[in-house]
Amino acid sequence: MKKLGVYIHIPFCVHKCSYCDFYSVTNTLLTEDYFSALKEQILNFKSYLKDWTVDSVYIGGGTPSCVDSKYIVDIMETLKSVVKFVEKPEITIESNPGTLDTKKIKDYLNCGINRLSIGLQSADDEELKMLSRIHDKSAFESAYMLARMLGFKNVNVDIMYALPGQKEETLMNTIDYVTSLDPEHISFYGLRVEEGTPLAAREDLLEKIPDEDAQYNMYIHAAKRLEKAGYSQYEISNFSKKRMMCRHNCRYWKSGDYIGFGPGAASYINGELYSYTKDIQSFILKPTDFFVNIEKSEKLTIRQQATQYVMLGLRLARGVEAKEYKLRFGRDLEEDYGEKLEKYIDMKYAKRTDKGFRLTRAGLLVSNTILSDILDFDKK
Amino acid sequence: MTDRNLIRNFSIIAHIDHGKSTLADRILELTDSVSKREMEEQILDNMDIERERGITVKARAVKMAYKADDGKTYEFNLIDTPGHVDFNYEVSRSLAACEGALLVVDATQGIEAQTLANTYLALDNNLEILPVVNKIDLVSADIEGTRKEIEDIIGIPASDCPCVSAKTGLNVKDLLERIVTDIPSPSGDENAPLKCLIFDSYYDSYKGVVVYVRVQDGKVRAGTRIKMMNTGAAFDVVEVGYMSAFGLVPSDEISAGEVGYITASIKTVSDTRVGDTVTEESRPTETPFPGFKKAQPMVFAGIYPEDGADYEALKDALMKLQLNDASLTFEPETSVALGFGFRCGFLGLLHMEIMEERLEREFDLDIITTAPSVIYKVIMKNGETRFIDNPAVYPEPDEIDEAQEPVVDANIIVPTEYVGGIMDLCQKRRGIYVNMKYIDPKRAELKYILPLNEIIYDFFDSLKSRSKGYASLDYELKGYMPSSLVKLDILINGEKVDALSFIVFSDNAYTRGRKIAVALKENIPRQLFEIPIQASVGGRVIARETVKAMRKDVLAKCYGGDITRKKKLLEKQKEGKKKMRKLGSVEVPPETFTAVLKMDEDE
Repeated sequence: MKKLGVYIHIPFCVHKCSYCDFYSVTNTLLTEDYFSALKEQILNFKSYLKDWTVDSVYIGGGTPSCVDSKYIVDIMETLKSVVKFVEKPEITIESNPGTLDTKKIKDYLNCGINRLSIGLQSADDEELKMLSRIHDKSAFESAYMLARMLGFKNVNVDIMYALPGQKEETLMNTIDYVTSLDPEHISFYGLRVEEGTPLAAREDLLEKIPDEDAQYNMYIHAAKRLEKAGYSQYEISNFSKKRMMCRHNCRYWKSGDYIGFGPGAASYINGELYSYTKDIQSFILKPTDFFVNIEKSEKLTIRQQATQYVMLGLRLARGVEAKEYKLRFGRDLEEDYGEKLEKYIDMKYAKRTDKGFRLTRAGLLVSNTILSDILDFDKK
Repeated sequence: MTDRNLIRNFSIIAHIDHGKSTLADRILELTDSVSKREMEEQILDNMDIERERGITVKARAVKMAYKADDGKTYEFNLIDTPGHVDFNYEVSRSLAACEGALLVVDATQGIEAQTLANTYLALDNNLEILPVVNKIDLVSADIEGTRKEIEDIIGIPASDCPCVSAKTGLNVKDLLERIVTDIPSPSGDENAPLKCLIFDSYYDSYKGVVVYVRVQDGKVRAGTRIKMMNTGAAFDVVEVGYMSAFGLVPSDEISAGEVGYITASIKTVSDTRVGDTVTEESRPTETPFPGFKKAQPMVFAGIYPEDGADYEALKDALMKLQLNDASLTFEPETSVALGFGFRCGFLGLLHMEIMEERLEREFDLDIITTAPSVIYKVIMKNGETRFIDNPAVYPEPDEIDEAQEPVVDANIIVPTEYVGGIMDLCQKRRGIYVNMKYIDPKRAELKYILPLNEIIYDFFDSLKSRSKGYASLDYELKGYMPSSLVKLDILINGEKVDALSFIVFSDNAYTRGRKIAVALKENIPRQLFEIPIQASVGGRVIARETVKAMRKDVLAKCYGGDITRKKKLLEKQKEGKKKMRKLGSVEVPPETFTAVLKMDEDE
């Protein structure tokens, strides 16, 4: 049976963070209608999914923890009724510390959710305010403790760097604080100012964002600090304890199959990429209408699938592997990329491994420059 | 055909902003050539760029009918002239087609450098000059002072000259009467052999070249076999007619004394040299017009397509522009940095800027222009004399016996309170003081010999900023003078970039080199390695800057939904890279060249 990941989008937020450009709305009046539409969409895929077995589920958003947990439980039941699961699937839910409570956590655990991701971002309340997050450090701490107490054995904590006004020192404090709580997984990613977000219009904050060199130092030093605390880096922005990598996200980076539900969700299945329109109203009206909801779809040739494999695989610390490349796409990795990567290997941005290629930490940090140079999606 | 005695051919000469275009509008209105409703603002200036810059670049002509107080209807031919010093040549050819000129002087400003220069051109052409004092509606207008100035400085009577407000239309009707009475009607013999003066031409994609002519003798009609006496080319006339405010109006014939156009399926403007004489092939005139001096380009620059694939399109565009503008010259050149392009010659910096804008707007081309250069004269040790318009081919210092640069006689009129600042500017621009005299208690006329090289950058802007806009400049090429010149090279990552080399006065080399290095540093994006930028003279580095290595370029969060987006982002980045110019291993965005070359030359 082919393994599949499932992504479920919960596009609701109590309040939109100033930097976020994921699709979400703050109108909670739509909650009831949204979930019945979501259910309808999932049910509609029953026959399409009959050959697949799910081994990871990711409930993301928005803020999945901001809606009543009965909806989440209901969706989990629906999902289980349409598709088979492996014995020990990884089922993650994203949460905001300000919206978690005992009932929700218990409900999550009871319906099979076994991994909790908590968006802390920073342990510095000043920095949190600048991001217009709704929680503070103490709210995070109680949510974290509660989740542990009630039984979550796999917890991820999000940390951000390159925040307005952030200093290397405050970042290190955040890292030390989080590692002292001993979560299994830490996502450590840089703030990106996305067009159209409120942050992009805040000149006063933008000018406080650390410059490129400072960001570089933050990243390199934080990564070392995390490693010292027992977390090894397995992807540009992801660190985990041994064998605690996020299975679902690894699926993205290994170019595995996944299906998404809900507006704004994306799928990559059988070599085809498609994503749903970011429009909750039309989704609620016609959740099963493919034409209403599909924003774009693209059938990739084997060659393009191979290119995508390299694009994503080079995000991973282990890099891309020649054997897998050959097996999946029937192509020779050395032939396709050996020469192109040579100069980056000389500059110590890339390395040859015994299995293929990988980027060094400095290379990961400039991966867009390298990837845009070596990849060619036009080659079909 | 109009009775020759009822024809008046005239131009308007004025300094920029003295109201020439507004006056032309009023005249068009009063002669019912256009109604108020139809009046597009300043109809004579019908190129976008002219409209924006408020100047007339190319000569235009228009025929009007005026019913005078004596009950007769006169044919007025207004031939427009450019006001900027770059276009002196175009002024002279327009003036030669007229019998008279209206000399418009702003009553609040008085006479300016260009007013003088254009007046002298009109006098050279034996034109009757009718002074017109304009802007008398303004509170600060000094009518008597302006009249006196015209009499004192130019030496023509102005005590009874028309005083108008082109803006409000006040007294413009009187001016029209004075055109009838003061400007002579054309002479000429319509039975004599055909003799026409070409004063302008442009390429029209339907008609071929449209030739603007002033008919001196004889007549021309469709079917006439004509010959250009200078080039020898012969054509069968397809159409003749007049220029109305709205375009060409065909007629049966045009004859002695009249201004009109001829089309004859002519493919290139080079067959229709301005100043040439058009005659009938079978019965040529025995007295052709004396040939005009060909407009000489004074400023040269390389023009390259941003995208190398646009080379042919650029060539095509330059050829089309040349069809309308014989003073534009170009020939292919190659640059290591910029690839294939053209070395272009212009009348001046304004002419160059207009051509750049037209290439970008009318032909939708993205272009890179290298630093403008004048033509240097180099006397080699072996006695050979070379003229160099491209820094890339400037000889090595040890081969040069003497270097010379072109200088101009500059004439600057400036209010007395700014004289100090302007003299300081001229001094800084290596000017040689010739003399100064007071035109009136408030204004002085300064004469300097200035290197042309110093004028072509931003001299005009500096002049304006140091005089709150009041100083005016006119200049004329004087010749060559020995000078201490060096070639400044720019090295990016150790490699010389030919497109950034230029010739500079040796004392200025350090300052210029530093500025360019700094500008490059600011414009070259960080790359995966550190990039040294050096300015050097004769192999000696005089300035250095460094573009630091890029440290971070990554999409941090990359989950399911992001994959398509990330792909797009990388593809866009790849697309952007394709546009980059490769200088060795360094990628430079094409805009860099323009940004560096256009950097401000503050003092």
